[in-house]
Amino acid sequence: MNRNPFIMAVVAAGTAMLLLSCEGGILGGLYDEPEPVSEYGFIRKETSTGHGEIYINTSGYTYWVYLDFLNAEADSVNIISHDEEPDSWDIAVHRYDTKTNGGAVAMTSFADIDYFAESGHVPEDNEFIEDIMTEDVIAVDMSGMMDGNIIYVSDFYNPELSEWLDVDTSVMPPIYTRSDHVFILRLSDGRHVALKLENHMDNHGVKGYMTILYRTLETPDNGK
Amino acid sequence: MNISGHIAAVFAMAAFSTAAAAQYRVEGRITDKAGQPLAGAAVIVRGLEGCGTIADTEGMYSIGIPDNEGHSITVSFIGFLTQSRLVKPGNASGIDFSLQENTAALEQVVVTGTRTPKTLMDVPIVTKVISAHDIARSDASDIQDLLITELPGIEFSWSMDQQVNVNLQGFGGSSVLFLIDGERIAGETLDNIDYSRLNLDNVERIEIVKGGASSLYGSNAVGGVINLITKEQTEPWTVDLSTRFGAHNEQRHDINAGFAQGKISNVINVQMTGIDSYDVGGTGDFSTVYGNRTLTVKDRIVYTPTGRLKITGRAGWYQRERDADAIVKDRYRDINGGIKGSYTISDCGNMELAYSYDEYNKSDFMSNTGADILNYSNVQHSVRTVFNYTFGKTGTLTAGGDFMNDYLLSYQFKDGGSHSQFTADGFAQFDWNVTEEFNVIGALRYDFFSEKRTGSISPKLGLMYRIDSGKAGHFAFRGSYSKGFRAPTLKEMYMSFDMASIFMIYGNPDLLSEASHNLTLSAEYFKRYFNVTVSGYYSMVRNGITTIWNDSLNSMRYANDSPSNIASADVTFSMRLPCGIGTKLAYTFSHEYKPDGSPSMSSVRPHSLTARIEYAREWKNYGFNVSLSGRYLSGFTTHVYSDSSYETLERQKYPGYTMWKLLLGQDIWKGIRLNLTIDNLFNYIPDYYYNNSPATTGTAFAAGLALSVEDIFRTIRK
Repeated sequence: MNRNPFIMAVVAAGTAMLLLSCEGGILGGLYDEPEPVSEYGFIRKETSTGHGEIYINTSGYTYWVYLDFLNAEADSVNIISHDEEPDSWDIAVHRYDTKTNGGAVAMTSFADIDYFAESGHVPEDNEFIEDIMTEDVIAVDMSGMMDGNIIYVSDFYNPELSEWLDVDTSVMPPIYTRSDHVFILRLSDGRHVALKLENHMDNHGVKGYMTILYRTLETPDNGK
Repeated sequence: MNISGHIAAVFAMAAFSTAAAAQYRVEGRITDKAGQPLAGAAVIVRGLEGCGTIADTEGMYSIGIPDNEGHSITVSFIGFLTQSRLVKPGNASGIDFSLQENTAALEQVVVTGTRTPKTLMDVPIVTKVISAHDIARSDASDIQDLLITELPGIEFSWSMDQQVNVNLQGFGGSSVLFLIDGERIAGETLDNIDYSRLNLDNVERIEIVKGGASSLYGSNAVGGVINLITKEQTEPWTVDLSTRFGAHNEQRHDINAGFAQGKISNVINVQMTGIDSYDVGGTGDFSTVYGNRTLTVKDRIVYTPTGRLKITGRAGWYQRERDADAIVKDRYRDINGGIKGSYTISDCGNMELAYSYDEYNKSDFMSNTGADILNYSNVQHSVRTVFNYTFGKTGTLTAGGDFMNDYLLSYQFKDGGSHSQFTADGFAQFDWNVTEEFNVIGALRYDFFSEKRTGSISPKLGLMYRIDSGKAGHFAFRGSYSKGFRAPTLKEMYMSFDMASIFMIYGNPDLLSEASHNLTLSAEYFKRYFNVTVSGYYSMVRNGITTIWNDSLNSMRYANDSPSNIASADVTFSMRLPCGIGTKLAYTFSHEYKPDGSPSMSSVRPHSLTARIEYAREWKNYGFNVSLSGRYLSGFTTHVYSDSSYETLERQKYPGYTMWKLLLGQDIWKGIRLNLTIDNLFNYIPDYYYNNSPATTGTAFAAGLALSVEDIFRTIRK
């Protein structure tokens, strides 16, 4: 009796049954499952004078996230329900858009926030850009986008600081290009704060989660 | 004279040459371009009637010359171009011949159209072949580059996020079935497989069957099948190394090593490729082309314990990393393997049983944290069997069945979840030689899909009439009807995906299977060194599956589209003369339209053409070939969604273009090949970079070097 066909069938069937037991694949061990980050706000403070890292959730279109560098506080405020803004704040972030509390922003040529702080360099006055009032930038309802009906609210907007992330929505999915530059924020009370957008995603790659480095500069005007 | 007649005559000549009193002997080896021995190749001496011999199993020959004069030695072998060389006393050893495949040959064996080996002359289903010779001559950087060079009517463009999208005369990635040695390929992105997995190294040929082929291949064979056939190891040992450098730091490096000893042969291939991101420097739908790097390792082992049983095992690994974002790198990995047993039951029958595993994953590598996060996994387990029985000259019965378990985990499912289903099918085909000239092939297949609990019946009927007019050439006329179908995929049924917080894309469990009814007519004319083929295709596609804006959901949703029809025609002329001149011209006309008069969103270019002209010469230690190849794709106008709304369409015109490549290939000494290429010879630069424009920045140069260590070693030993 020729056993070849039988052996062949048994080997193939055995192999198939063995591997069918791993329906979901065999490479799962190669991958990581980072714990979701649940801590938001000023998550790292180097010194009491305003130096550290901020992690905020800006994925919602209907919120401004207000940041207060002096008190290291972050607050989310609903735009639609017209919640009041905090008593004290320095900048606010909506998605990737920004506004300042009467301040102005300049982009520097530095890529490292500490090098910039140690350089003592401060841009010229004419390099600082103040907020502008807009009618068609702060989008709060994108559901009608495909019908050409995006709903915006009137609000201030800082075009310079908002360059920390370029979002090209002319293609799908949008292309996100993060700026490597350090920005310097000049506040109405004379404080100067260096800012750098370190990341715009959470640790799973989901966009709308901003990691911002900040460092309050020791200039003569600070804290006056 | 038929083949057996040739062989008998050569044997008679061999006997004569042995008997004659030789003054000197001419010796050498006869191989194909890949270095494989051509056992049985005929060697004759011009002007000396009856003086000849044939090559042995190693391709070696030795022939006695009865005088002390110089003579012209001519070598011929079926399926290859005849070669001649002058020999004289004192220069008669090491007279090796490396024969070129005759791409117009009728004897080319193909398997895709019938799932049984048949020559191009005999196969009743129109089959196009891209041979190893064509692949080598094209100097293609990858499968996309090769197919657009060799096959008019095929176009690779980008869909969103620079993901590759194929269009074969109106059929997209989900409707063209790509196979490797007949095996399906897991994973998809925007309905297209990862074409970077289709490594051209160690490919024997590529077979293309246009039109529906679901009666043999089941779902997805709606518009055609493209099957890559890999080489088998026959030499005792081989080591081949190759490297290629092109624009934007494009690199490809290959290592091939194989052995064949007794009942076991093995071949392993390692390939690394890469290209940097680059800016195209113009305006358009994109400005930066994302770079990427790949690594592919594949191994194939063949064990032949008896003359009747052959067991083939294979394993493969693939990985690619794409630079689409500064922080997040797109990673793609695949692991695959399989075992196949082929058993010859008798002289008339054989059967095959195979198991195949393919796991394709996508992940986000966070370069800032080092985390590698899985977001897509497609795992396919397949078992298939096929049985062939030949009833003498009457015909061949082919029957078989497949079972596949399909598992899909995706970031496009709710909460990144998973779904799975199995498919099972049975099929039968009879290839009936009614007369020597007339052939009828009929097939029927039933596929079952567990998730929808639905089935599909796919019939096929083909007719072929052949005329062999001897010196006047061979004529073949073919006509066929075939059905193609595509069952809704798990993604299309269960997607729930948030598109950049702008809108959702939902799946639809109520989708009907996409179906195509395909008619094909063709006429072919073959003569010794050239062939002409004219083919016409007509396909009616029903229930095409696509995403359509859904007002009530205020989102995209998968739905069955309105009917569409595709009419197309091909004309192909190819010729290769023994003097070294060769040419190949192919033109395709395609027209896709909606029979209900609704606006077409087709992206089919009506006219496309590919052309190649080449010249090759070869001496004992040097050979070269120069080829000019190019393609022309006409412009076209279609409808696209307007910028402001997914509810209105507007007309969009895309320009045509032509691109050409000049290649100088040199065979230096033995086993060393140097290719120098000027791509985009006429410096075509798009005025606007559409997603279907070539991502070129102008004329570019490439250089490649290939070493066959075995050939070099053999030459040194001499």
